[in-house]
Amino acid sequence: MEDVLWAGVRFLHVLSAMLWVGGQLTVSLVVMPLARRTLDGERRSTVLTAIGRRFGTLTAGFFLPVQLGTGIALAWGAGVTWASLLEPGYGRVLAAKLALFCVVMAAATLHGATNRTRPRLARTMAVTSLVTSIGVVLLATLLPRI
Amino acid sequence: MPSTFVRIERPDRPPPLPRHVSWHARANAIALVWALLAVCAAATIGSLGLPSWLPVHLLLLGTVTNAIVTWSEHFTVALLRLPAASDRYQAGRLAVLNIGVLVLVVGAASDLIPFAVVGAVAVLGVVVVHTLALARASQRALGGRFAHIGAWYTAAGVSFVLGAALGTMMLLDSAGTEVQQRSLAAHVHLNLLGWVGLAVIGSLFTLWPTILRTRIVEGSGTVARRVLIPVLVGLGAGAVGLAAGMRWMALAGIVVYAAGILFCLVPLVRTALRKRPSGAAAWSVAASLVWLLAALAVDVHALAVHAPHEVHTALQPLLPLFLVGFTGQVLLGSLTYLFPVVLGGGPRAVKANTALLGRGWPARLAALNLGLPLTLLPGLWGTAAWALVLTCAAAFVLLAAVAALRAWEVKAGPGPIGAGLGAALTALALLFALSTPADEGPVLAPTGRTETVEVALGDMVIEPGTITVDPGDALVLEVTNEDAQPHDLRMENGTRTPVLAPGESATLEVGVVEGPLQGWCSVMGHRASGMEMTVLTTGDEAPIAEHGEHSMGTTDEPLDLSGEFDEGWEPVDAALDPAPDTDEHEVEIRVGEAEQEVAPGVRRPVWTFGGTVPGPVLRGKVGDVFNVTLVNDGTMGHSIDFHAGSLAPDEPMRTIAPGEELTYRFTADKAGAWLYHCSTAPMTHHLANGMYGAVIIDPPDLAEVDREYLLVQGELYPGAPGDAEQTEHIRIGRPQAWMFNGAAMGYDHAPLAARVDERVRVWVVTAGPVGGTSFHVVGSRFDTVYKEGAYLLRPDDDGGAQTLDLGTAQGGFVETTFPEAGHYPFVDHDLSHAEGGAHGYFEVEKS
Repeated sequence: MEDVLWAGVRFLHVLSAMLWVGGQLTVSLVVMPLARRTLDGERRSTVLTAIGRRFGTLTAGFFLPVQLGTGIALAWGAGVTWASLLEPGYGRVLAAKLALFCVVMAAATLHGATNRTRPRLARTMAVTSLVTSIGVVLLATLLPRI
Repeated sequence: MPSTFVRIERPDRPPPLPRHVSWHARANAIALVWALLAVCAAATIGSLGLPSWLPVHLLLLGTVTNAIVTWSEHFTVALLRLPAASDRYQAGRLAVLNIGVLVLVVGAASDLIPFAVVGAVAVLGVVVVHTLALARASQRALGGRFAHIGAWYTAAGVSFVLGAALGTMMLLDSAGTEVQQRSLAAHVHLNLLGWVGLAVIGSLFTLWPTILRTRIVEGSGTVARRVLIPVLVGLGAGAVGLAAGMRWMALAGIVVYAAGILFCLVPLVRTALRKRPSGAAAWSVAASLVWLLAALAVDVHALAVHAPHEVHTALQPLLPLFLVGFTGQVLLGSLTYLFPVVLGGGPRAVKANTALLGRGWPARLAALNLGLPLTLLPGLWGTAAWALVLTCAAAFVLLAAVAALRAWEVKAGPGPIGAGLGAALTALALLFALSTPADEGPVLAPTGRTETVEVALGDMVIEPGTITVDPGDALVLEVTNEDAQPHDLRMENGTRTPVLAPGESATLEVGVVEGPLQGWCSVMGHRASGMEMTVLTTGDEAPIAEHGEHSMGTTDEPLDLSGEFDEGWEPVDAALDPAPDTDEHEVEIRVGEAEQEVAPGVRRPVWTFGGTVPGPVLRGKVGDVFNVTLVNDGTMGHSIDFHAGSLAPDEPMRTIAPGEELTYRFTADKAGAWLYHCSTAPMTHHLANGMYGAVIIDPPDLAEVDREYLLVQGELYPGAPGDAEQTEHIRIGRPQAWMFNGAAMGYDHAPLAARVDERVRVWVVTAGPVGGTSFHVVGSRFDTVYKEGAYLLRPDDDGGAQTLDLGTAQGGFVETTFPEAGHYPFVDHDLSHAEGGAHGYFEVEKS
């Protein structure tokens, strides 16, 4: 029974990550190019702002709580301690993943904050966030092997 | 892209350079990337376990060879007014060259020698094709003021091909001999003085006036034409003299070469007198030429006072000065002038880029040239000087990179910048995630104690092979190079000694040892040849000692001895022939490496005297002389020690390198059953892997018997020869099996024959390396016991004996008769040895 519970927690963690990374990829690779090609300035800006806002809400309201909750639970279940985070192997991979996750969140926040005032920076931060998210996934795939 | 050369009208002016030939810019950009890699490698060499030749070859093969190939072709084509080669040819050549360099460097650094050779052949191939093309082209362009340039480049190319071929051969053969050292010296001279030196001087006849923006002085061409032949002959004689060990020929050759180069500098100096050098390019080139002169003086001195095989060792510490001072700096100066030109973009852009590349040049030039000699200082000052020099080099590469990006109008949008940022952050995270504990502070509390151990670097061996310390102890190694060629010692945690010349010593502070640590010699190929050592902590062995047999996993479990030997297996013949009828025995024993079936179905690599374990039996009578020739056909040093003789060990028992031989002459003036064995350290390894045998010297009154057998008892250890597992098992004295005549349970499967009432004599010698024996024949008693030169029991005595007890490396014989037909086991009555393989049968038949 306990195994099933843990599988559920892990499933939620992966699902939520999938939505976040997949959502960013979809917006960057599908929505943005299409919007740029088919919509004119005014409407494009409206639509993209709406998408950004919705994605932001989703992040703060669903993704972050689920990810932090399940992540902490999984770490607790795996017996991770603060000290063990510096140990080579599992500890360091996890620590690197957490640090990179913090970078993702910082980039995403900066993207949201500068969207109107400094569009170039906002766009840079969006791409940084996307690439770094993929980096987090890469580190996550390294975890079980170590 | 077609090159657009402006045809020159005035023959005394050097030809203008191409305007915006992006092809050259690209080739130079690649060269700069290699330069950056070389700087990084040089900066991290102490901490990442990189071999010291790596930055040298990154610079010379990556940067310099790229630059020479690209520019020598360009100058030839431009000056001789030849049609430029096609883009496709250029691209292909550049690709093969750079992939070749990459494969060579990666292959050699990771000891994947076949890989490295493929890379070397690719690089060689490119230079051969390039040189042939230049030679053909310059022949076609008959005459002209600049006809000499093709010849200089051809000469440079030929030097490279010869030097690089020597280098490639050294990749294949890392045996440490004088020949190797001499080849190395020839390799270095051909490539540095030939490939680099000739290409640079050849270019400077025209490039130097171009940089100074003045005319070529009268007579420059004449010098270039007349000096080349003597210079080339001198270099050739120097290289041949070095390679063949002809000291005076080498010295004379290099003196001629140096004199020729001095002549070449005359027109360059005259040019400089006419127009004073100004700017980064001119002064860098000028400074580089000063380094060249200094290097030639040092080289001539080294050749005068050192034998050819010592030259490389003597010059090696100074090599970085030549590489950076001359090679690096002349390239820096030339590129400062040439790179803006090839980046193009009109006069204004060229001027802007020249200004960019020259930014802060007086400070950089001064720091580089003053810092370079200071790098020879030991300790922190030397390191600081290197940091300064490398910073100067890196600064130029970065300035050039900015110029290139600016010229190619690389304007990164948010996408690439964001992606780059994300990728860089991910890479950093990955680097941290996968980092090893080496750079972390000690998890374990240091004990405060310091263990000091003397370590000898020998011929492809590090002694001791294993050091054990308490965890938390600081370890200090007093390292001495006792070999005839240079070695170093690098520990897994990044600490290292400098390269030690023969006889040199260094103190290596390894630091606090927390767990097992590997050490090795980082000279190319030496680690693969066996120059490795292990530091163990006492904690590591605790599980073995405490939990006994099962804690080590499968390898410590007893061998399964119940199986069958492979078909075709033949036991070593235990029957002992009588001594040959001679007073003087001529024996040749060849050391080799083989595989032998040491237990039923178990094949192991063994080191052998004469192809078998144990080695050949030598038998004679008291007073016989044995003239033994030992030939080392193995791949590491070996030796031999006959217990039956008495002499000073120094010469006859010395270790000989692969391919060498020695003569060992001893008089057997004492009877007994004697051991002989390899006495090269660590002896335990050589004995444990099969290097032992017996000498039987009959006592004068030795009775006739019906049958004589000889059993040499030895031990079998798990693992491969010399590996950590075997070393550890030998150290704690835990064999995996015991063998009579090199096979555990061998005579169970091939019993020794005897008949009822026959008198049988069994000679027994124990080789160890750890234990002895208590030899017993089940179902029989001994009426004669001879042990270590004396009879303990004779047939006339009333008593009998049940075992012949021998310590490690002792010998004797027993005699018995079998009362009836049957199977009589013979064993080491230490029964764990018997069950572990020291077991066989006499098959006794009716007479």
